[in-house]
Amino acid sequence: MSARNRGTELDLSWISKIQVNQPAVLRRAEQIQARRTVKKEWQAAWLLKAVTFIDLTTLSGDDTSSSIQRLCYKAKYPIREDLLKSLNMHDKVATGFPSGQTHLKTRLEEIRLAVEDGATEIDVVINRTLVLTGQWEALYDEIRQFRKACGEAHLKTILATGELGSLTNVYKASMIAMMAGSDFIKTSTGKETVNATFPVAIVMLRAIRDFFWKTGNKVGFKPAGGIRSAKDSLAWLSLVKEELGDEWLTPELFRIGASTLLSDIERQIYHHVTGRYAAYHDLPMS
Amino acid sequence: MAATHERPSAREIFITLEYGPVPESHACALAWLDTQDRHLGHYVNGKWLKPEHRNSVPCQDPITGESLATCLQAQAEDVAAAVEAAGTAFENWSGLPGASRAQHLLRLAKMIQKHQRLLWTLESLVSGRAIREVRDGDVPLAQQLLQYHAVQAYTQEEELAGWEPMGVIGLILSPMFSFLEMMWRICPALAVGCTVVVLVPPASPTPLLLAQLAGELGSFPGILNVISGPASLGPVLASHPRVQKEGRALRRTLAGKGAELGLALGAESLLVLTEAADVDSAVEGIVDAAWSDRSAGGLRLLIQESVWDETMRRLQERMARLRGGRGLDGAVDMGTRGAAARDLAQHYAHEARSQGAQVFQAGDSPFFPPTLVSDLPPASPCAQAEVPWPVVVASSFRTAKEALAIANGTPRGASASVWSERLGQALELGYGLQVGTVWINAHGLRNTEVPTGGCKESGSSWHGGADGLYEYLRPSGTPARLSYFSENLNYDTFGLAVPSTLPAGPEIGPSPATPYGLFIGGRFQAPGARSSRPIKDSQGNLHGYVAEGGAKDIRGAVEAAHQAVSGWVGQSPGARATLLWALATALERRESALASRLERHGMELKDAKVEVELSTRQLRAWGARAQAQGHVLQVAELKGPVLRLREPLGVLAVVCPDEWPLLAFVSLLAAALAHGNTVVMVPSGACPIPALEVCQDMAALLPAGLVNVVTGDRDHLTRCLALHQDVQALWYFGSAQGSQFVEWASAGNLKPVWVNRGCPRAWDQEAKGAGAELGLRAARTKALWLPMGD
Repeated sequence: MSARNRGTELDLSWISKIQVNQPAVLRRAEQIQARRTVKKEWQAAWLLKAVTFIDLTTLSGDDTSSSIQRLCYKAKYPIREDLLKSLNMHDKVATGFPSGQTHLKTRLEEIRLAVEDGATEIDVVINRTLVLTGQWEALYDEIRQFRKACGEAHLKTILATGELGSLTNVYKASMIAMMAGSDFIKTSTGKETVNATFPVAIVMLRAIRDFFWKTGNKVGFKPAGGIRSAKDSLAWLSLVKEELGDEWLTPELFRIGASTLLSDIERQIYHHVTGRYAAYHDLPMS
Repeated sequence: MAATHERPSAREIFITLEYGPVPESHACALAWLDTQDRHLGHYVNGKWLKPEHRNSVPCQDPITGESLATCLQAQAEDVAAAVEAAGTAFENWSGLPGASRAQHLLRLAKMIQKHQRLLWTLESLVSGRAIREVRDGDVPLAQQLLQYHAVQAYTQEEELAGWEPMGVIGLILSPMFSFLEMMWRICPALAVGCTVVVLVPPASPTPLLLAQLAGELGSFPGILNVISGPASLGPVLASHPRVQKEGRALRRTLAGKGAELGLALGAESLLVLTEAADVDSAVEGIVDAAWSDRSAGGLRLLIQESVWDETMRRLQERMARLRGGRGLDGAVDMGTRGAAARDLAQHYAHEARSQGAQVFQAGDSPFFPPTLVSDLPPASPCAQAEVPWPVVVASSFRTAKEALAIANGTPRGASASVWSERLGQALELGYGLQVGTVWINAHGLRNTEVPTGGCKESGSSWHGGADGLYEYLRPSGTPARLSYFSENLNYDTFGLAVPSTLPAGPEIGPSPATPYGLFIGGRFQAPGARSSRPIKDSQGNLHGYVAEGGAKDIRGAVEAAHQAVSGWVGQSPGARATLLWALATALERRESALASRLERHGMELKDAKVEVELSTRQLRAWGARAQAQGHVLQVAELKGPVLRLREPLGVLAVVCPDEWPLLAFVSLLAAALAHGNTVVMVPSGACPIPALEVCQDMAALLPAGLVNVVTGDRDHLTRCLALHQDVQALWYFGSAQGSQFVEWASAGNLKPVWVNRGCPRAWDQEAKGAGAELGLRAARTKALWLPMGD
């Protein structure tokens, strides 16, 4: 795990003047997908890199030990060994371990319990009402308390960006979350109707960069939900590369929360190695 | 660049996570060149034309310099052949019903769709522009242009009744413009029934391919003819007697044959970044404007002082991430445009540095990197010169007012964007900028329905939307443009000297006495020369004296008009209408006096009364029209409106015709005032007195300086006005020689001119006197893009 973000004092001047122009951000989001593509070896290498960013998570209420076990196996061996061998990559690729069944709507006590249970990463969702009503001090205090409760565990703050009303609010909430000491900011839980979208990501990434420029702290970014195809994942990688730079392209600072993405990536790699498209039964299920 | 290295393994890429080459195959472009044996001629009348004994130039790959093909250079005979073909095709094409022309344009759109891959690879291969921009931008837009104009052709009989196509259009494409710029102009021309001859710079095969696609439709081979040749052939094409309109402002060459004209019709754009902007998005706007292969020229960047440091940091950071390379690579921001563009940019950067500027370059480009010039001293030559691609020149401003002053302080005025989240400020800047297109919080958006053009030295021709159609139309019944060129006209002496006047016999005094003096700044003044000219009536008797105006009086009149501009522009259309109506009422009261003045000039009293009545009607009609200016466009891809504004030209000089001395004067005056201009008018030479009578009412009714009337020697006054750099437009109704002089002389500031080429005009016919043409010419269009969203 990377160095912790210690956070800063609340400084409302960092967010008071910020204006995010939504149509311009939408145009940028379209462009980034059209201007950067990778092919051949580059595509294969990028896809494998994407695998290392995946957080395989499950939030289903009906999880049993067998389904969790299968997930864990998939996390350890995300891509068929023979495919990796032919790329000369068999010693390198493993996904992030699942961060545990996330406690939604955790309160502080739950966090402490989870940390005692040995959780190393805690996901919390911010209180959207505080954002919508502009109570930035209260939001800061709340996240600050979560941060304290986490102890040495990493704090991932979920902004639930689909419910913040505007991109300007997304920027402000991101900045507050980072000032309060979040180690990761995350677009959504993955279960909302609006998941990770490029425009929202662009705004969050810009906030991360601004925070880095102001404090020197690198905060991680995690889009979650709605990222299904291998092509999407490549666009996410180049988005982070373009907006933040190569330093952010490590599992310590960038994760992708996705459940069905992995199998599509595996199929693309199968195609790259064999020149054929895979049938569903060619690859192990997750 | 990565492409030139040995291929790294997946393992290495996994560590470095670098971008790789994404080459687009250009095999089909080469195969097409092979069908011509790598030897391109001209495409005329549906056939390839490859005359013998012509020079040819190589068409090179802009990166490797490898020769892709050779292109023939046209000579004057080839131009003549193309114009001939277009002329013949015009007979058929213009006679077709609009619906048939629409059908044909749609077939061409389909044809482009079928061969789009060939089109985009060829264009990107030869021009070196990023393929993404050609594939996703230019080619679809070319199709949309054809579709949009097909609709216009279909509705032409209804919507554009009273207008007819001009004839053969000569279009001269400059080397920095792509085939899309050609499409913007040929689509409306073809739609309204004109036929086109395009002169493309040597070694640009894409227009030839388009012409071939159009030719292969079979039915109307001669409507689009493309010849390639040096720019020096431009005048040959433009002065061909069958060519009715030229695509570029070759005004001086056209009027003056051989004289040089610096074509400043540039692609430079402007971006104003205020402290209320979303800076990161504005930085993307700068990338769009200068380093994304969307535009052909450089960018002038104005940054508010309070956000200067922040913007520079973000901009330089962003520049480092730009990728340049081969245009056919699918993952580059900026392609490579060949040695000529590089030399131009290099020269500019070098000059700027030597004049004391900071030059910052970054980004991965094998050819010429994105370049940011700052701290350029305002008075240095580079600060005045046109900024070339891919250079951005940044300078700072303190207040919005200052930004406007700096932005409007260049002779160019094509397009600009304003970045501000404050609506009031953004609109203030958007309305205030003297350019053809303004984008608020965006840059470089285009749509077929939105007119695009420029003002000042960026030229005054329009394309796109309804405004684009009128460029290729003339009111029905107007005589075709015949060559009225006279070799004998001496530009140096035309109207230079004023013949001296002596007392001209007994003054058979009319009563009341004629008003005397020059009407300048709201009152009658004695002329600077302190001399007068006699005005004779139809019997040859002296009717009275009018003041003999000269250069100093013109200067004074233009100054007075300038002082009145801001007040008049600020008036609401309703207030303008009220004043025009008040003037109409005053004219009615003066009817008998005016009619008797006209009568003395040989008119029947009945006709004279009709002329006065028509004049009052003109004033009322234009007053009413003042309130119906501009409208809102809804554009497909854009969420939000595009405002099509009609803005006054500024100070408009009008030299009135001799015929209809009162009606013509009033019609021209009313149209100019209704659109918010202030005017300097030279009334009829033979019969200026009715105009001076009207001045007496204007002195009482209108703000001082709004209308200035200078009498005197028409040739001399025309000379003074045409050579005046601070007159924004000039209308001339007089002799053929005078027209030729006006066209020649106005090239100094490229002011729009409207001349009658010595042909009289029937001012009493509603369709023309009050018709749309006057209104079109009395204002300029501005498109203001307002994207919305939160």
